[in-house]
Amino acid sequence: MSPSPPPLVTRSLGKRFRREWGLRDLTLTIPRGAIVGLAGPNGAGKSTLLALATGLLAPTEGAISLLGRDPLRDPGVLSEVGYVAQGAPLYRSFSIADTIEFARRTNAHWDDESVVELLTRIDPRTKVGSLSEGERARLALGLVLGKRPQLVLLDEPFANIDPLAGRELLQLLMDGVAETGATVVIASHVVADIERVCDHIVLLGEGSVRLEGNVEELLEAHRLMTGPRRPLGAIRGVREIVRERHSGRQLTLLAVVDGPIVDPSWTVERISLEELLLAYMVPERMPAPRRPDEVPLRWHG
Amino acid sequence: MTLLERYDPAVIQFHLDPSSGVATYLQIVQQVKEALRLGTIDVGDQLPTVREVVADLAINPNTVAKAYRDLEREGLVVARQGRGTFIASTLAPASLRHHEELRAELERWIVSALAAGLDEESVRALISATLRESLARSAA
Amino acid sequence: MAWVTWRQHRAQLVAASGLLLALALAALGTRLPIQAAFRRDSLAACLPPTARSGCDIIVPHFEGQFHGLVTAVRGLAVLPVLAGLFVGAPLLARELEQGTVGFAWTQGVTRRRWLLSKTALIATATAVAGAVASVLVMWWRSPFDTLEGRMGPSSFDVEGLVVPAYALFALALGVLAGLVFRRTVAAMTSTLVAFVATRFLVLEFVRPHFLAPLHRTVVATDSGRQVAGWVLSDNLVDAGGRQITAGREDLAVLHAQQAGIDPHTYIVTLGWKRLVSYQPAGRFWTFQLLEAGLFVGLAALVIVAAVWLVRRRPT
Repeated sequence: MSPSPPPLVTRSLGKRFRREWGLRDLTLTIPRGAIVGLAGPNGAGKSTLLALATGLLAPTEGAISLLGRDPLRDPGVLSEVGYVAQGAPLYRSFSIADTIEFARRTNAHWDDESVVELLTRIDPRTKVGSLSEGERARLALGLVLGKRPQLVLLDEPFANIDPLAGRELLQLLMDGVAETGATVVIASHVVADIERVCDHIVLLGEGSVRLEGNVEELLEAHRLMTGPRRPLGAIRGVREIVRERHSGRQLTLLAVVDGPIVDPSWTVERISLEELLLAYMVPERMPAPRRPDEVPLRWHG
Repeated sequence: MTLLERYDPAVIQFHLDPSSGVATYLQIVQQVKEALRLGTIDVGDQLPTVREVVADLAINPNTVAKAYRDLEREGLVVARQGRGTFIASTLAPASLRHHEELRAELERWIVSALAAGLDEESVRALISATLRESLARSAA
Repeated sequence: MAWVTWRQHRAQLVAASGLLLALALAALGTRLPIQAAFRRDSLAACLPPTARSGCDIIVPHFEGQFHGLVTAVRGLAVLPVLAGLFVGAPLLARELEQGTVGFAWTQGVTRRRWLLSKTALIATATAVAGAVASVLVMWWRSPFDTLEGRMGPSSFDVEGLVVPAYALFALALGVLAGLVFRRTVAAMTSTLVAFVATRFLVLEFVRPHFLAPLHRTVVATDSGRQVAGWVLSDNLVDAGGRQITAGREDLAVLHAQQAGIDPHTYIVTLGWKRLVSYQPAGRFWTFQLLEAGLFVGLAALVIVAAVWLVRRRPT
């Protein structure tokens, strides 16, 4: 019995638009059952990647497979995948009931449960065009969950919706995932929106992967070290220095560690996910260490 | 009914403090233990289902599952297939007995710290740092 | 997909039905005076091949009476392209423009099946609408057709099998244009241009040669209709059968004027005749079948191209 294929795999994937490359030489594997944050600034290639994954764009080079199948040539795989494009596009002249009927008739296995709850809140005869952004996003997500997909792809679901609607959207999504065990990929340029739920992160920058991995492991492996300025040699416990910054007499490092930092002249701190991503995204930017009068954490033993 | 109205509040409702620096699953574990200590939940009570928790807090279901697994490993809860997760045993009664004494002692210390001129932030910082160091030392 | 197609295009269906209904009512209303005039002037006696005296006055009078309406009906040749502009072009262009393909093409129906099903259903409705329009026009024009034949483009293009065929072709062009240009306005413009160009090319260079034209030589001075059918050319030829150039004709007229003879009589004495090449009226249905077949074939090719493209390069 062969194991079921990973939800999304790319191999040297590239997409060129006229003269610019939106994605270049992208190789990554999304683990099954993970909730993946696809992070990166606007223009990094997040939407392009999701459009390639759903067969809406054809790759210029390389390959992409969705649940083991080619989304461009074998688009039948999309019946197992839920996708909400940026802005949650739906037919504005359709009523909510019409939209649900559309989804019901174009999907083989459909479960009304996820949309029933949506319908009780708003009159199903309301035209989609008169819904707020948040309501439309909820409808689009409800339709996705009604398909009982194995993989859910969301492109900037929180853009343009208020925080309460965004929280409700996340609740709806997590409830659906808890029920079905689906893999989720959420593309967002605001890390705070997805930090809450992601256990896996993929950071894109200018069309390539800057950082990728399990969130817990990444946070465990990085430390922010502050200390007096000095020439750097090998530091015990540090495997790799990601960024360094000199300011006056002080030196700040973002390092990948493989053991405890025993040198007491270093002040060592953990780093938040948002700060970590920013450090990998913007070469000039270093995460800000805490103020020196705050109680330092000394890492011993 | 909304997603929340569908579910019973159950005996315990979790809350998440994203800025505390404590991992989410640990916060859930701690809140269960705290409820046990305070006696608000007892043996036989059912913890909220994973679905109920994520629908309320909008967090990763794996996080909740991990928390419940940790509690099960410590022997505090037991997962019954198809029916839910239930409290299996309380914490050692000793902790409850000392509870009142410790609380009173802590209150005395706080009063003297405030009298010494520390503000709320400094008191918190001192408690957090000392706690961290003590735990680290005891783990070493 | 049947429900989906219906729901997305029901407004267009209603509009088209309304248009056809309006046409039918207009046809009904305007036909009555034509029928009355036909009977009153006993034009039945002027039908070819009979030609009693006075017909060459009565027939033009009758036609002149309803000239405005006849011209208006000729304008219905624009109907088929509407299928391309308002149904075909927005089909893909609007979805691509507004991004709803992100919704429509990521459900359980593949892009190819989505396009084929929609196009098949809409094409059927378009063909039916075209057929209804064609029948209406044929019925309305029957008195004129019996008098002057219908092989000429002004009647051929609005009657018979070609009307639904043109509509299908326009529809297909619109669909492909929508996919290629991804903008409704650009798709509509290119559909119009491509449709008009194709129709023009077929009319000028293909239709005259579906079957070899017939030729008839008539006396140079005869006026009026000489043949029943679509006249392709009507030129002066000399006794040896060679076509007379304009220069030669002008010279002959000058000669006649200088000699004080009526130019027409002079030309006859030279032995010159008129050579008319034409497609006879009897070939009407053959030509209709050939041209309709051509356009339906083109429509099919265009749709195949669209389906191939939607698979290879969706957006």
